[in-house]
Amino acid sequence: MDRPLSFEDELAGLLPRLRRFAHALSRNPSDADDLTQMTIERALRSRAQWQQGTRLDSWAYKIMRNLWIDTARSRSRKEKFEAPAEEAESLGDESAAGIEASVDLNRIMAAMQRLPEEQREVVALILIEGFGYREASEMLGLPIGTVSSRLVRGRTALLQLVGA
Amino acid sequence: MVSDETFFAWLDGELSPDEAARVESEVAANAELKQLAEQHRAMQARLKGAFDAVAEAPLPESLVTAARKSEHQVIDFAAAKRARHGPWPRSLPQWAAMAATLAAGIVVGTQVPIPSHAPVQVEGGHVYAAAALSQALDDELAGAPSKSPVRIGLTFRDQAGEICRSFTQQATSGLACRSGDRWQLRGLFGAPEGQGGDYRMAAGMDPNLAALVDSTMAGEPFDAAQEKAARKKEWR
Repeated sequence: MDRPLSFEDELAGLLPRLRRFAHALSRNPSDADDLTQMTIERALRSRAQWQQGTRLDSWAYKIMRNLWIDTARSRSRKEKFEAPAEEAESLGDESAAGIEASVDLNRIMAAMQRLPEEQREVVALILIEGFGYREASEMLGLPIGTVSSRLVRGRTALLQLVGA
Repeated sequence: MVSDETFFAWLDGELSPDEAARVESEVAANAELKQLAEQHRAMQARLKGAFDAVAEAPLPESLVTAARKSEHQVIDFAAAKRARHGPWPRSLPQWAAMAATLAAGIVVGTQVPIPSHAPVQVEGGHVYAAAALSQALDDELAGAPSKSPVRIGLTFRDQAGEICRSFTQQATSGLACRSGDRWQLRGLFGAPEGQGGDYRMAAGMDPNLAALVDSTMAGEPFDAAQEKAARKKEWR
């Protein structure tokens, strides 16, 4: 029985990209996969809020970004009262299932972790996910000038951290 | 001197052709900027390469499963049965709970004349249509005007040759197949809270139900004449 591509099909098609974005934001692969799963579940639950005819990818990225901020905030609140936060580098070498053990990915994930969150999301959306400045500014709800200056700072810091 | 923002906007291809040409010539004339551009291009390539490995890697099963789970409460009896490895006493409450969900899903908010007659009954681990639902599956034709709260969708035969019919009652939809002289429920899908029948109608068939129909149907769905003929033969 032929039927048009469903919402679920399209969302499933976005999984590899969403997972990549999650890895760019998260401190380790297992957090990234948790974030991806939460995003998918949230997107499925809120599908009524998605406007047909608008881009599903931007919508799903937005959901992921908001969930990531929520988790990061609640974690930092928790960690203030608990043990000191572990170094990103030590967590970065936990290799993700199915991803070819890539030393470089671990190093780069660790470097991304050292960027302030607001720079990290801009670097991830534009330099890794390939969105334009305008698309990123719409997704983040920020003026394009803010996006562009955060991107300058983020990529400059990253160059220092990982070298060219 | 070109600003950082403009320099990187040029690097990212965000400038208009005129502006880009201007920055281009400035960079060409400036060894420091030229080197900076190269360093950042290399860094971005490395960044992309590392993270692209993630996008190219096979997806973990848990993510694929999550994407296939709808926001609808899925009650796929065949799958539940396959998943049921435990001894009978342990699985009994599971079925009881399912029957309760089923009953709630259909009765709540509908106008079944005698609400005490649950539209499903559980017997020996199977769930059968009862009362108004069973009646509708027996009598109603797709698209025909009727007083029943149950609307019939597709009628077709499954791989075993039994006749199956999909149905919708307000925000709930499902699939029932003939088992002897009764209708056994193969799946029932309820809309999440806050989404009424209008949404369901606008969205067409519930994707879970569509998938279940897909995997159950052998051949083509019945046309109106075949459906009528099948009713005459009491869905044999």
